[in-house]
Amino acid sequence: MKIAYSHLVSRIQENPTLEMISNSLFQLGHEHEVEGNIFNMEFTPNRGDCLSLNGLLRDLSVFYTINHDQKIYTEKLDNLQIDFENLSQDICPQISFLKLEIDNIPHTYKGCLNDYFIDLNVNKNNFFTDISNYISYETGQPTHCYDANKVNGKLIFQELNTSQEFETLLDKTINLTDKNSVFLLNNEVINLAGVVGGKTTSCSSETKTVLVECAFFKPEKIIGKSLKYDIQSEASHKFERSVDPACHELVMRRFINLVSEYSNIKKMSFVSYKFGDITAHKIPVNVNKINQIIGINISEDEYLSYLLKLGFTIDNELITVPSYRSDIETQNDLAEEVARAIGYNNILKKELSIPKGKISNNYDIENKLRYFLLDQGFYEVINSPFVNSSSDVSIKVDNPLDSNREFLRTNIISSLLDNLIFNERRQKDSIKLFEISDIYTSENNRIDRIRKLAIVASGRAGHNYEDFSKKINIKYLTKLFKKGLPGENFDFQILDRDSIKTKIKNEIIGCEVDISNFSTEVLNYKEISKSPDSFIQYCPISELPYSQRDLSFSIKDFSSRQNLEKYILGYENELIKEKFIFDYFFNENSAEIKIGFRFIFQSLNSTITETQVSNVMNDIIMHTEKIKGVTIPGLN
Amino acid sequence: MSSNKDILPPELIKDRGSLHPINHMKDSIMSLLVSFGFEVVDGPEIETEEFNFDMLNIKKTHPARQMHDTFYVEKKLNLLRTHTSPVQIRGMLEKKPPLAFISGGKVYRKDDDATHLPMFHQVEGIFVDENVSFAQLKDLIYKIIHSLFGESVELRFRPSYFPFTEPSAEVDILSKEGKWLEILGCGLVNPIVLENCNIASTKYSGLAFGLGIERIAMLKHGITDIREFYKSNLDFLSQFK
Repeated sequence: MKIAYSHLVSRIQENPTLEMISNSLFQLGHEHEVEGNIFNMEFTPNRGDCLSLNGLLRDLSVFYTINHDQKIYTEKLDNLQIDFENLSQDICPQISFLKLEIDNIPHTYKGCLNDYFIDLNVNKNNFFTDISNYISYETGQPTHCYDANKVNGKLIFQELNTSQEFETLLDKTINLTDKNSVFLLNNEVINLAGVVGGKTTSCSSETKTVLVECAFFKPEKIIGKSLKYDIQSEASHKFERSVDPACHELVMRRFINLVSEYSNIKKMSFVSYKFGDITAHKIPVNVNKINQIIGINISEDEYLSYLLKLGFTIDNELITVPSYRSDIETQNDLAEEVARAIGYNNILKKELSIPKGKISNNYDIENKLRYFLLDQGFYEVINSPFVNSSSDVSIKVDNPLDSNREFLRTNIISSLLDNLIFNERRQKDSIKLFEISDIYTSENNRIDRIRKLAIVASGRAGHNYEDFSKKINIKYLTKLFKKGLPGENFDFQILDRDSIKTKIKNEIIGCEVDISNFSTEVLNYKEISKSPDSFIQYCPISELPYSQRDLSFSIKDFSSRQNLEKYILGYENELIKEKFIFDYFFNENSAEIKIGFRFIFQSLNSTITETQVSNVMNDIIMHTEKIKGVTIPGLN
Repeated sequence: MSSNKDILPPELIKDRGSLHPINHMKDSIMSLLVSFGFEVVDGPEIETEEFNFDMLNIKKTHPARQMHDTFYVEKKLNLLRTHTSPVQIRGMLEKKPPLAFISGGKVYRKDDDATHLPMFHQVEGIFVDENVSFAQLKDLIYKIIHSLFGESVELRFRPSYFPFTEPSAEVDILSKEGKWLEILGCGLVNPIVLENCNIASTKYSGLAFGLGIERIAMLKHGITDIREFYKSNLDFLSQFK
């Protein structure tokens, strides 16, 4: 909601700057952006009372002297005779009507009405709707203006459960379905209560006689309607957050006053219906409780002074909550009011000591498994549980984001297969992934939850001279896992590659195991991998293709081997993504070491060229050729 | 002059994997909180409206309960938890105060764009005892933030609204660029919630807090697009060793 600084400050005696008001609003918990001289407010959903100029000024009263007196029509009002019936009194316990007839229709505005349209850049509509919009901005109470000459017959308020079309005053036709609170005229919907009025009874630029409706609707009956029918409605935004049920007469008298500034009022009459009492909430005065909740030590006088400034009244050791503060019910609510007034940042912290709790064993087994897998070169992934395929035990999402995410997965391994293909398509030749997650299934109206570990692996066993030429297969993984966790059974399987559109033929090995199947022997595993000590700064990744080169050396002077390794493994170039020794062989008979290095090139910005790669390789070759006793076979 | 060492094979550099950065961040935060005295509790991701909303004082009118915000399953019999708070409710129903729980894990909201995902992670904590105050909550939050972002980080508390806490606050830290960044939500447990869990609010009070793991991980690692976490790209994952 947008509120102009000038509109606020004109009613504040201390004349604070925009920055001062901004700071005050921040302390009160009212988030906002400052756009020029406008506060673009974002209120929490419990503070419907602040959705107006007056509402915000009421809250600012805790810091400033506010002029709350506004001009209203003070004379006695005639009683309006209206044929109205409320058939859903629980939804609308209070409603008022004002009927006005004016002499002439003004075309220009002055004072606060003019400022409202100019400062907030609001579009004008017709005279009565403009007044209604301003009243909503100023007081927070939405009113609806019917052209009184179009309201002929019995007006009924009712919650209807039928399907019918309704043409709004915004020229949009909506199909009302399920339960809706509506106003009916001669059995025709003329107003979707709390959201938008109808076209058939709306005011126009010719309207001289208006029937103004001012109501309190139960928020739970309004909520979700504007979203359901895709209608931008400031009124529903306010009704959903609750409005002041006790403001009707004041609002209508302000309406009259504003109209009278522009036109002679020929006739006016007013009626207010109350269907049941809305009683003020009362909370006992208890400063000790407030001090205990916040952790401060203020006097009762100081405590009550904050509440008085915020519009609370105190009588007979009872605090009466103002009618517009539907969010205040308990001592904790009052404590928040006081804490806001003092400022959360001004409340001193107090040492908190918590006795030591128990540590779960199950979590340790899971954690040990994770570190075991890291030691074997596996990467942990997390996948979304939403999938498009189902089985007999799948759980269906009632309101999925789309048809591709209609079910909850019943296994992890399918997600890991997708991850594997994703990485194969990015030229990864050694892929080892795992995920631990809860899996949910439904059978006979019972939901089962099983915590599972799934693993997939494919390609080379690793990027080092021992593992480079080995391919991942069942034998390799079983041996590897038995060595680390001899007592555990992973039951590796070859996974079907037929359904995957890929030219790669490497076997995919995987397994999916219930975590509960693992024994406490897992806890004996001594992990090598450690959690990083610091948080690594992420480098953006490239989606461009790789290029790779191998370089093999013959070393006759063994004392040069370490120099060669040090030079190549320490060689830095922004195009080199990875380098490692993929081959090592010591030939005792020929007194020769053969060592091979692989270089993987990738650019962040553009597809890497043959020239770029050659330039780097030539630089490496030029330098390594100078190392004594080192040659590159086949290079002339 | 060569030595025997020169003909030994080069150091065998074994490939090591890495924890997912979100799980690593979750673990780090939970370890920190365990060191403060909190006990880890666990709960299901499929919840009832009663535990996810009603017990937490989230009324039927709250926007979070609408179909456009929450994933419902099994013909609206259940839902995917929208926060980890239901775990705390289950904990409070099982044990008597004083109690201090944390729970961490996946939560779900019906959102999907560059800054929001339908699945994300939270860590939440609750401490219930006699005379727990907002000033003590501030002490705990300072300890958490200073442990995560260093002693020199500037933080501020803003009044906010959560149905399950009263008073409620959001906490921001000041970035190096001078911008305030929202880090966590917290507050004193609403007495209504305590009473819902059969804890006498006249005798006991509590504090609660919740952190979004993705947000903190993004800040700590300098990641700008939340979707990177869930592509399972090895080029991404291999950076977090």
